[in-house]
Amino acid sequence: MRRAALIAVAALLTATVLGGCRQKRAAADQASRSGAPRAGGTLVYATDREPLCLDPHVLGDMPQVFLARQYLDSLVSMDATGTIRPWLAESWQISADKLSYRFELRHDVRFTDGTPFDAAALKANLDHIVDPATQSSTAGGYIRQYAGTDIVGPFTAVVHLSSPYAAFLQVLAQGFLGMESPAALRRGRDANCQHPVGSGPFRVERWDHQSRVVLDRNPDYRWAPPIAAHQGPAWLDRVEWRFIPEASVRFGSLQAGEVDVIDGLPPEDETPAGHNPDLWVLIADRPGNPTNGTLNIRRPPFDDIRVREAFIRSCDIDAALASVFFKHYRHAGGPLSPSTPDYSPDFEHSKDFDPARAARLLDEAGWHRGPDGIRMRDGQRLVVHVPIRMSMSAADRSLWEQVQATTRDAGFDTRLEPGPDTAVIAREFRWDYDMRLGYWNTNTPDVLRIVFSSASNRSISGSGRPGPHQNTSGFADPAFDAVVQKALATDDPAERRALYHDAQARIAAAQLQVTTYPQTTRLAIRRDVHGVSIEPSLGVSSLYDAWINR
Amino acid sequence: MSASTAIASRSGGARTWRGVAVLLLRRVLLGLSVLLAAVTLAFFALHVVPGDVVSAILGGPAANPTPEAVAAAIREYGLDRPLIVQYLIYLVGLLHGDLGRSFTQHLPVALILREQVGPTLLLTFWALILAWALALLSVLGTTRRRPWLSRLGATLETVAAAMPPFWLGILLLFSFSFAMPLFPPAGSDRLSTLVLPGLAMAIPLAGFLARVTREALELALEQPFILSARMRGLGDLSVRLRHALRHALLPGIALSAWALGALVGNAVVVEVIFSRKGIGRQLFLAVSTQDIPLAMGIVLVVSACYVLSNLAADVLSLWADPRLRSSRR
Amino acid sequence: MSASLPAVTAATTADVVPPATGFRRSAAFRRPGPGLLLATGFLVFLLLGCVAPSLVTAGGDPFRIAPHEAFRPPGWAHPFGTDQSGRDIFVRIVFGARESLLVGVGATGIAMMVAVTLGLLGGLGGHLAERAVRWLLQVMFSFPVLILALLLSAGLGHGIWPLVLATGLGSSAGYGRLVLSQVLAVRDAPYVEAARALGHSPARIVHRHVLPNAMRPLVVAVMLGVGQAIIWSASLSFLGLGAPPPAAEWGTMLSMGRDFVANAWWLTAFPGAFVVMTVLSTTAIGHALQRHLESRAA
Repeated sequence: MRRAALIAVAALLTATVLGGCRQKRAAADQASRSGAPRAGGTLVYATDREPLCLDPHVLGDMPQVFLARQYLDSLVSMDATGTIRPWLAESWQISADKLSYRFELRHDVRFTDGTPFDAAALKANLDHIVDPATQSSTAGGYIRQYAGTDIVGPFTAVVHLSSPYAAFLQVLAQGFLGMESPAALRRGRDANCQHPVGSGPFRVERWDHQSRVVLDRNPDYRWAPPIAAHQGPAWLDRVEWRFIPEASVRFGSLQAGEVDVIDGLPPEDETPAGHNPDLWVLIADRPGNPTNGTLNIRRPPFDDIRVREAFIRSCDIDAALASVFFKHYRHAGGPLSPSTPDYSPDFEHSKDFDPARAARLLDEAGWHRGPDGIRMRDGQRLVVHVPIRMSMSAADRSLWEQVQATTRDAGFDTRLEPGPDTAVIAREFRWDYDMRLGYWNTNTPDVLRIVFSSASNRSISGSGRPGPHQNTSGFADPAFDAVVQKALATDDPAERRALYHDAQARIAAAQLQVTTYPQTTRLAIRRDVHGVSIEPSLGVSSLYDAWINR
Repeated sequence: MSASTAIASRSGGARTWRGVAVLLLRRVLLGLSVLLAAVTLAFFALHVVPGDVVSAILGGPAANPTPEAVAAAIREYGLDRPLIVQYLIYLVGLLHGDLGRSFTQHLPVALILREQVGPTLLLTFWALILAWALALLSVLGTTRRRPWLSRLGATLETVAAAMPPFWLGILLLFSFSFAMPLFPPAGSDRLSTLVLPGLAMAIPLAGFLARVTREALELALEQPFILSARMRGLGDLSVRLRHALRHALLPGIALSAWALGALVGNAVVVEVIFSRKGIGRQLFLAVSTQDIPLAMGIVLVVSACYVLSNLAADVLSLWADPRLRSSRR
Repeated sequence: MSASLPAVTAATTADVVPPATGFRRSAAFRRPGPGLLLATGFLVFLLLGCVAPSLVTAGGDPFRIAPHEAFRPPGWAHPFGTDQSGRDIFVRIVFGARESLLVGVGATGIAMMVAVTLGLLGGLGGHLAERAVRWLLQVMFSFPVLILALLLSAGLGHGIWPLVLATGLGSSAGYGRLVLSQVLAVRDAPYVEAARALGHSPARIVHRHVLPNAMRPLVVAVMLGVGQAIIWSASLSFLGLGAPPPAAEWGTMLSMGRDFVANAWWLTAFPGAFVVMTVLSTTAIGHALQRHLESRAA
């Protein structure tokens, strides 16, 4: 398949997709944006979580990719319509068997340590990501089909896959697979975590642990992606990336002018932020599997689909979003977030709040009201164990408390069991839960395979030992597996769309998740800061085009 | 029992500086043994708790390790050895000044501690100074004055002592950062960021310091030597400062030593609320992610602080103890 | 957040300030002031909340959510307003009294059990035992309570019992030191010598003489300690170690409300005020008890 064809495919795929960027006060911002960008200045950005490692190949947590976006470039870029565009790769060709990708790379790219970006660098990066010693979860998981890279010429490389993987280019556009200097990678994981070297518009100057990461401008930057608003070096001299975990303090710092941009704008501060003339708000949905509670179908009571549906239908998510989330968050009813390619709106209302139906289903399943209102069967109470992390935000915790209350009305004894992160993880590894809270961000509908296929049902770390599993419901259906595998192999967009529609229908019918709201990126920005944007592949903020008018 | 009374009971009033030196040496040795015990306790407690150490090393919640990676980590960190062997290896490392590498941050623990201890110590010392200032202000200003003034002082002290520091922190944050933007709400890079966290820690402590000092001062002001000082025509302030206060400081000094020793426990909520750097927040993170080497390192620092501050208090008590002072002449 | 502050305070005072004897100030004979009455009234109200919460709240349900009534400011229908799920904060505080007081009293009880055991062992077990107990107390002092709490929470699971245990063990060292010094003081007192000379059994001596006399100053420390234990456990709840949802425990309410402090101050103000008032009340009663005991000793 030729590159042009692929672009057409991607464009078709995303007819309904990725509209996510809702911009408040857009008109006012447009007015101030009409001035020419000014170079210089330091932008202070505040976020909630501090990454454990600045190299996004390692581990693979969202805070890493937010930071990495500022100092790493990717092989390809993805625009707001979901189309894959060039970046460090100028063009590419895909073989007929869809197992080889031939990349022609730019010739003028240098990493900030002086190392040139070439075919060998591309090979070093992909090899690094899949190397077990790198301990990549996200990036490594996405390119499990990676078989190797051949260096054909100094700036030409052929990447081989073991099986067709239609999502490969989309995945390459994610910041998790950003390109790093091979010389820096050779220093080893731990050194690279502290001070990664990329070719991006900024460089990591230093990491002041538990406080901030300081970035400074890469003066030689000449290879911005086509999705950027300008070319050449970034406008800002420096970026101070601060860590302020407390939501109210983060917003307070923004209001006080201590910081210029915050992400993770808490729902309770969204209305005040909208009313504050000094601020503007930028919001984008992230694609993937929305924030959810996944039901463990490997043990009672959720091994019975009727009980699962009853539980899901007794969760009043809309009421929770209206109260705790101040009506700022949308309800995501289906297995895919609306901004995911091939998302279908058909399943948005398949699991709406319906206590009457829940009661009927539970009666059918043989669970009857006990003396205290909790349903019982054969002397067993209808208990649902939900481990929750101590670090969970007040808003999320309140949402699940409301779920606890409404499901209790339906006769479930829902127990929210807070614990330190490690204790919760250990329980998840042992499948010791009835509902597991989580989400999965990725820019392809292949997330369905990652989260629901029987292959990811097994513990990844091998047999015997309890370990992480990406499929947290325990769902195992060969027919579903076949559908998502087929979707990865097809190059007909209409067929793929139909296949993913089928996959969404199967997941919705299996009653596996209480879905709540799509993951979102929510920024609040001071009015004199312009050009901050959210890139489309993962909904990550980008400061390349940002400038300060002060 | 504080050192001064220990000295008094052992040597019955006849003290020599040599005796003091021997005593201090014994205290240092005792302190080291306390340190060892705390580290031992922490080591076994952290390992016994349920959780997956390997997955903590391999990235915790985001982990996705292959079987080879798991095996490699188990080998690298010696997790297949018996616990007692691991413990001995840790101790040997400790003797060489090696605190190990953090599981989650993949950095030497010593480096993390070097970065994080400073801000916590600064905050604690600052809070202690602030607490003493507030306490002395209240005590010297109101003890044995007009009844209503005395009672007002005592009441304020009681209320201060009843304040949960984290609640106070939220109130201060809300009032002086959000409603009236006088002080920065977060950070640890400027002196102005110390004001609110310092007050949140200092006010409750000041309540306790003032209470013990007031009680001791009241007692001291009743003593015969105060009466004689007054009869010699010394002014009220002079009597209070030069004669009575020295006696009244002893319990407060002992309490301060304890407060310094308990620094991490006292600092953690304040560090969390004000998003400050420091070992309190770090300890909280380390234990909740089962980062055993880091948690051990912080336990070591905390215990050392306790031991050192108690030593310092002993020395201070010797200084404040009039009986010892007289022996210097 | 200082698990053993009152005990340490009492202990430091006991070390340096001679125990109260005849010549203490006349304040001992003061009649109960308005503060003490208020304190007693408040505690009675809380105890009523523990025993029959529905009586105090006129049948309100602390767990019944009403999302459409979320974040109502204090008013006639809800004197303390409603929280993020539309639950009445006053009702929740009253129902939460049981858990919060239980933590305070339970933790102090555990602390006392450990302290009395160690104190008697060290005070009556001879020179070696005394030194061993002293050393052990030092170790306990130097160990961060936060670790204890996190480990217990991970080991014992969710709920308030890890909280009670951690707070109790965390504050036991302070009481331990106090008990030890009291037992030592009483051990050498003339009436114990006399009892020994009369040939009374050690058990009888401990039971009849040592314990009652050593315990007296402890009563006060315990009264002050309950309040501080509530503060300490609220701090742990604040960090996320508290009672599991939907419990109305005060520390958890504070912790949940803090994100909303700029929108709805009543979510944090009222539970916090109740913690402070509870601590003040127990402290006031503790001080009154102290005066009473001193005047009896006089």
